[in-house]
Amino acid sequence: MKLNIAVCIKSVPDPEWYEKITIDIKTKTITRKGIPSIINPVDKNALEAALQLKEQFGGKVTVVCMAPPGATNELYEAMAMGADEAALLSDLAFAGADTLATSYTLAQGLNKLGKFDLVLTGTESADGATAQVPAQLAEWLKIPHLWNVKEFTFATEQELHAKVKMDDAVGEYVIQLPALLAVSREINKPRYTTAMGVMKARKKTLTILNKNDIDVNKSLIGQVGSPTWSGDISIPSLARKGQELIGTPEEIATQLIAKLRAAGINPAKRREGDGK
Amino acid sequence: MTHQGIWVVAEQTVSGISRVSFELLAKARELKEQGGLQAPVTAVLLGENLDDYYSAKLMEAGAEAIILVDHPVLRYFQNETYAAVLKSLVEERQPSIILMGATAAGSDLAPTLGAKLHTGVSAHCVDMRLNEEGHLVAVVPAFGGKVLGDILCTNFRPQIATVRPGILGKVICFMHKQCPVERFDIADILAQDQSRVKALGITYEEMKGVPLEEAEIVVAGGFGIESKEIWQQLETLAAVLGGAVGCTRPPLDEGWAKESQMIGTSGKSIRPKVYIGMGISGATHHICGMKDAGLVISINKDEKSPIFDVSDIRITADAATILPLLIEGLQKNEDDVIC
Amino acid sequence: MFTFTEEQEMLRKVIREFVEAEVAPKAQEWDEANHCPVELFPMLGEMGIVGTFVPEEYGGAGLGFVERSICLEELARHSAGLAITVMAHQLCMGGILNFGSEEQKKKYLPDLATGKKIGSLSLTEATGGSNFMGQKSTGEYKDWQWVINGRKCFITNSHLADVDLWTVITGQNEKGKPIMTAFIIDKDTPGHTAGRTEHKLGLCSSNTGDVSCVNVKLSPQQMLSQEGDGPKIALSTIQEVGRAGMSAICLGILRGCLEESVKFSNERIIYGKPLNKLMNIQFTIAENKLDYESAKLLTYRAASMKDKGLLCACEFALAKYAGNEGAIRAAKRTIDMMGGYGVINEYPIGRFLRDTLAGSTAGGTSDILKVVIAAETLKR
Repeated sequence: MKLNIAVCIKSVPDPEWYEKITIDIKTKTITRKGIPSIINPVDKNALEAALQLKEQFGGKVTVVCMAPPGATNELYEAMAMGADEAALLSDLAFAGADTLATSYTLAQGLNKLGKFDLVLTGTESADGATAQVPAQLAEWLKIPHLWNVKEFTFATEQELHAKVKMDDAVGEYVIQLPALLAVSREINKPRYTTAMGVMKARKKTLTILNKNDIDVNKSLIGQVGSPTWSGDISIPSLARKGQELIGTPEEIATQLIAKLRAAGINPAKRREGDGK
Repeated sequence: MTHQGIWVVAEQTVSGISRVSFELLAKARELKEQGGLQAPVTAVLLGENLDDYYSAKLMEAGAEAIILVDHPVLRYFQNETYAAVLKSLVEERQPSIILMGATAAGSDLAPTLGAKLHTGVSAHCVDMRLNEEGHLVAVVPAFGGKVLGDILCTNFRPQIATVRPGILGKVICFMHKQCPVERFDIADILAQDQSRVKALGITYEEMKGVPLEEAEIVVAGGFGIESKEIWQQLETLAAVLGGAVGCTRPPLDEGWAKESQMIGTSGKSIRPKVYIGMGISGATHHICGMKDAGLVISINKDEKSPIFDVSDIRITADAATILPLLIEGLQKNEDDVIC
Repeated sequence: MFTFTEEQEMLRKVIREFVEAEVAPKAQEWDEANHCPVELFPMLGEMGIVGTFVPEEYGGAGLGFVERSICLEELARHSAGLAITVMAHQLCMGGILNFGSEEQKKKYLPDLATGKKIGSLSLTEATGGSNFMGQKSTGEYKDWQWVINGRKCFITNSHLADVDLWTVITGQNEKGKPIMTAFIIDKDTPGHTAGRTEHKLGLCSSNTGDVSCVNVKLSPQQMLSQEGDGPKIALSTIQEVGRAGMSAICLGILRGCLEESVKFSNERIIYGKPLNKLMNIQFTIAENKLDYESAKLLTYRAASMKDKGLLCACEFALAKYAGNEGAIRAAKRTIDMMGGYGVINEYPIGRFLRDTLAGSTAGGTSDILKVVIAAETLKR
């Protein structure tokens, strides 16, 4: 069994830098100048899962990303980590896409690139975090999907057995191939990219596809193809006027207990109450 | 426009109906009033063995009409089946707004349904309102909660939105007599269902103490909790206070805490009466999950921690030195009262 | 004049990610415990950090000295002790790679380049490192074997190495001058033992000590190159591998000083303002920056010359001199700026100062480097 696997990754501003994000009051746009882009962290887990499958069963791993041209860096990095090939879907006409238009574009890109047994993604992106692209991509590809997968194995050559993170629970599912799995960060620990990997990456194939290269319906891409649009944006102020407790640790603890009391928290009363 | 009314897709849980369903019903009633809408707020519940208890609960929480889809196949969440059922319901009844909880199931179901219906979905909103034209304005966080943006879907119907559990907070008990309860038959839909995804079962995590999102007191620990022993003291403090334990990413990575205890944009949103943060520096994505707490107390070694900016009580100290003193002090007082 | 390629930029990024995750959190602990993290070696090997310049056919990454300098700089940014461990290991590999027979390369390099084994170079004796022709260790050819006797000191990886390169005196030429020859000694060879362990001022997470040979019997296959090639091997390895590595390590420490000073001056509030609003603090930052950038240019320029096969002994001497002295100045300045915080071990700046002072001898002290630089400059 050889697997043809696609991994969809997103290029996102480094979450370590989110404190530096500001809003341009005049244009109502988000300023992220000077903030470096990285591969969306959980997408590396998706890539790791793909690489492990390739090591186990053989096959090919293709990384796909829809982004402006600068994202070739992230694609080379993915190939340095071990992916065999990469494709960047890049066109001004793709800009301003919401999750539905993005997933449509990705789906058309994937259809152009070949027939994949398995499409892997991360559960969500660090920036927008809508978590909607995986499900919608699967819909456009007309394949089944599972979201928030923390573990999966092959039940048969055509069927996967997956554990899915639910709320305070774990669901178990079987899913038929071809399928899309959106994996969570628990699924593995992404490998480090090695010096050898970095050097090999530039010798691998990176294809850049624009709107004419992939067969797209122009009314379904970019801002035009997006049912949703963004209105006002703001940076909420959450500041509280705090009071500082000072003194020796004993004094601080005593003051804090008094504060808790004042807020109506009293362990003694609570215990009586529990006895009812 | 022909699409009318607000639907809330409620969620069956092991012990009844998820709390977020009720929060959404309260919000739906508020939106209906705000927009002067005629159509009843409709609760749609998919599940198994949906007896009168479920309709009573939904009605009490604000549903003015109820559609129950009761079938053994719906016992566990299956995205394909659930989305197929909802798609045919929506196409037949044409609601204008559909709200779901941004639970594990809702976060998957909403975009699937959105794609099937070719319409817009706003993910995990923190608030929503209707604008002058009657369109839904969903307030959505981005960049870990650092930025809030309004999302609209003016040209497509229905407008779908998911809301994080706990964010809306309010559950209102409505006093009204009766509401129509309809049982929707899905035999035809199931006949066409390809079922390429099948649920085998679900295993619930064992819950220790009070659930995080329902606790009045939350003691949360982060990077500054340096050992398992100190973490256990933190758990003791929570137990003494009758509260729940929350965490940021590091204790989870250490294996001291569970995923279900994580607070923040990729975890839970909480609004306890008292939040005590220990060794938490306050990255935006954590603050986004605890900002609605009543009294915020923060203990951190680093006087420059951003959490102090959003705290009511600041303590610059190592949590490890304060923890045993707090536990001792609280237990001593407790004994005093009992004697 | 010198810019990095896209590959080199990405290499730096991925090595930095690795170092920040696996090295930075433990560096202080290793230092305090005098622990050399050899347990990381297999991982460093997989990453291509130890075998950077070893060709792929011998299990290395097949890269050049610019890439090697990037790796060492990134390691030394958080742990100069680990970096010098890797550097000393590379001395052993450099010797075998440049002077070994095909058989020796095939036998030793794959395990060394992948971090499965650790190497060392035992050159220095009590007579001094730079006066290496004055060394007393001997090799005598008897009964088809070489018999090695002697004691080496200040040897990095003395107690850790699986493969130890030795230089010994194997006779005198017709002019009465000593003939020096190099040998490869395996760890388990009878008579080859590590002696005392040094307790150092800095670089505490590296291992330094004595190594002795008492009647160590080696087959002729263990000789590196030919009899009499010892000085060539020693000089080229020390100057081109050792000094090159040390300049990158000093550069890493310097960047540590620069980044710590920036972080502290941005975060520390004094008289109601961040420290960085004070002009004298800005001077400190500017001086740290200049020390770092000038050492960086010198280091990578020398490394790129080496990669092009140009003579670069003087350039590496300049780089190490600038880097080491610059790091000493930057660490001192930063400690002064930090006040009390500068001298407590929760901040790494004190360690940076100790490490750079301890690193002053490896690859030549500043005085030796000045002699090298002057000799080259006066020739013209």
